[in-house]
Amino acid sequence: MNLHRVLFALLLLAPAAANAPGTEGGTGLALLTRKALISTYEGRGVLDNAAILIKDGHIEAVGPAAELELPEGYQLIDLGELWVTPGLIDLHDHSAGNLMDLNDSVYLTNPGLRAAPTITPGNMAMRRARAGGVTSVLCIPGSGSNISGWGILVRGGFDTFEENLIRNPGSLKLAQAGNPERAAPWYPRRTFMNWNTRNTLRRGKAYAKRWEAHEQGRGPKPERDLQFDIFRDLLEDSIQVSVHTQIYQVVNMTIGMVAEEFGFSVYIDHGTFDGFRAAARAAEVGVGAILGPRAVQAPMPPMVDTDGKILGVAAEYQGRGHRYVGFNTDAPVVPQEELTLQAAMGVRYGFDNSRMGAVRGLTIVPALTAGLDGAIGSIEPGKEADLIVTTGDPVDPRSSVEMVFQRGHKVYDAKEGKRLW
Amino acid sequence: MRPIPLLLALVALLVPAFAGGDSGARGAERGLAILTAKALTVPPEGPQVVDNAVLLIRVGRIEVVGVQGELELPADYELLDVGDRWVAPGIIDLHTHIGGRDFFTNDINDMVYLTNPGLRVSTSVVPENRHLMTAVAGGVTLLLYIPGSGTNIGGHGILLKTGLKSYERMVVRDPGSLKLAQSGNPESWTVGIFRSFMNWHTRYTVRRGLGYARRWADYEAGQGPRPEKDPQWEVFRDVLSKKTQVSVHTQIFQVVLMTVTMLSEEFGLDVYIDHGSFDGWRAAGPAALSGVPAILGPRGVSAHMVVEYRPSMSVENDTDGAILGMAAKYQEAGHEMIGFNTDAPVVPAEEVSLQAAMAVRYGFDTSRAQHVRGLTIVPALAAGLADRVGSLEPGKDADLIVVDGDPADPRTTVFMTFIEGERVYDNEREKRRW
Repeated sequence: MNLHRVLFALLLLAPAAANAPGTEGGTGLALLTRKALISTYEGRGVLDNAAILIKDGHIEAVGPAAELELPEGYQLIDLGELWVTPGLIDLHDHSAGNLMDLNDSVYLTNPGLRAAPTITPGNMAMRRARAGGVTSVLCIPGSGSNISGWGILVRGGFDTFEENLIRNPGSLKLAQAGNPERAAPWYPRRTFMNWNTRNTLRRGKAYAKRWEAHEQGRGPKPERDLQFDIFRDLLEDSIQVSVHTQIYQVVNMTIGMVAEEFGFSVYIDHGTFDGFRAAARAAEVGVGAILGPRAVQAPMPPMVDTDGKILGVAAEYQGRGHRYVGFNTDAPVVPQEELTLQAAMGVRYGFDNSRMGAVRGLTIVPALTAGLDGAIGSIEPGKEADLIVTTGDPVDPRSSVEMVFQRGHKVYDAKEGKRLW
Repeated sequence: MRPIPLLLALVALLVPAFAGGDSGARGAERGLAILTAKALTVPPEGPQVVDNAVLLIRVGRIEVVGVQGELELPADYELLDVGDRWVAPGIIDLHTHIGGRDFFTNDINDMVYLTNPGLRVSTSVVPENRHLMTAVAGGVTLLLYIPGSGTNIGGHGILLKTGLKSYERMVVRDPGSLKLAQSGNPESWTVGIFRSFMNWHTRYTVRRGLGYARRWADYEAGQGPRPEKDPQWEVFRDVLSKKTQVSVHTQIFQVVLMTVTMLSEEFGLDVYIDHGSFDGWRAAGPAALSGVPAILGPRGVSAHMVVEYRPSMSVENDTDGAILGMAAKYQEAGHEMIGFNTDAPVVPAEEVSLQAAMAVRYGFDTSRAQHVRGLTIVPALAAGLADRVGSLEPGKDADLIVVDGDPADPRTTVFMTFIEGERVYDNEREKRRW
């Protein structure tokens, strides 16, 4: 047998050998940990001295280490005193692409623009985010206009677009006030922006309904319009509207107009300032609240009047009965790797963490909010093996991220190569 | 007043009659037999080289490629024995701006709208201009002359034979391509537009254009009314029927991926990466899967270019400090249709072989003469001209060069250039120009 044939045969074998334990096509992987923050939405959030079995990129089983029967051929990693938490999810990001390309404020509403063509897998910001434990983000257009286009849900762990893609469109990005005023020289304010946004939503929904009627055999085939295509996904409820909405009036409009009037799945994103004053209504209507990057509300008269006090935004939402509170960064405005600090500030200013609301707000709550709870957000059998290994509570700024797993691949290890965060 | 240009012009007027008499040329009765130590035939498949070869050329075409001693030479053919010199197909450059007046007078970058599919570079062609004449001396026989990349769609390109002396004879195909430029330059068209709007707007234009072309196709198939003719959209009829390709100035990963997913997969067009550079190689896997050829240059390497002000707000080509060979990275991902271009006059067309040389320097595998293929048959295939040019095969145009070694080796000299059998350059018979 000549040498070339041998080499060729080895090449053919190489991909199989490259499938690491726990990844698709590889053997299994078992992690032993002092504490697994399993972070399901209901029930207990913690399992001490736990074992996590990972196979084909997914979590196969979670249970007490003492009861573990290690299946044959599985690789065992004993993490000792280190903790394991689901990979963190940030639903307000601009750094998976390039912010310069994400804010094309050509019209006041641009529902056809897409963040997807700007995604740069493995860019420096995302590598650092990964080192900070963030495994999934919603990368969205900027808030230079009231509707700036499609967000995209992507993973942070891999080097190709296809491996990183979770869902496109990830959301329709709406921004209600604060930035879009600058979109035009005539300086539109809240009444016009409210009218124009409603007008666009109505047109989009009507377009989607014409397609729905056509597909059910009740109407002619509408002409395809790239500006409105995303409303077909919204009408089917397969995506959400993520709304940069922070001041009381416009948070109230998010609930009243987008959720109640149009019936779209919608959540508060980049929730700050005094938006919490609408928290009870948001809770009642089922509008999730993803908060940041200002975790506190200091007095800012005349815009926001707190009578001189400094308030915790998350605590204020919680205090009004809102049970779906999550956190976001607005990276790169606040760097992605500092996502946990948003939750820590929430706790500092009164957010009740007795039911691990801080960790849940970084994992299962954003997963539920974005409709991804079937795949990520907690350590449960069947979910993707997106896990982070830390020296303690990930929300505690003194804890460090030691390893990051994504779909079973170890995509970061602070002890190997350069520590990035 | 300097008399020399006038003199040259007079000589030029006399040349066609003389050149037409070259044995093997289109206007000549007599054939030409070229004997060479090595013919780099580079057909799409099969052996790439014929040693001690004979090429029979007649009426502008290659008649036979054979081996000396095996093939009987026709008695009435003129014999040209080039000895130890090699013969290769004429070089093809699919990204140039040198078919007309001096580039910097800018006839071909009229940025009126953000997409201008109706504009044509054919209106600006100047045969025998100084750039073309030097390109011929560098062995370039065919080029795609395209509009600039000031807008997302710059207009129609045109495929031209470089060394012929009239517009009619130069034209190989018009439209030679629809020129699309995804990013890097069109941002300066106006303030506030970047990749997400450009992506939307380009998709929108291509959809409208294809809609127009389909209405015409329906009409011609007797299935619809006669549409009104619109010069802005006419090129899409050729694009839809695949008589022409979309040549895309696309270089950064995201937009190369969009070339593959939007133009090839979503719209189903014949499309190729042109002016491929930076980190576009990261989309090489999807490009290979979708059959999108990659014509690379004029930067043969991808160096670390990161401005770390705020990571995601900066221009970024992050190679972790390494210098990478782009062609090698495309090849590593399994891409087999890799060619080279210059963007002349930014990098002169006569230096296109240097693009291939740099690829080799940075790891491009040449075990199947891929570097020569990348200058000849690969661009011919990408531009849909492989039935006519790009290799030394019977029936193809006799576009070839005589060199004293590997054409991609910078130490090699081009001695002669033939286009359709006509000896359009001979550095021993006339002034050496390169």
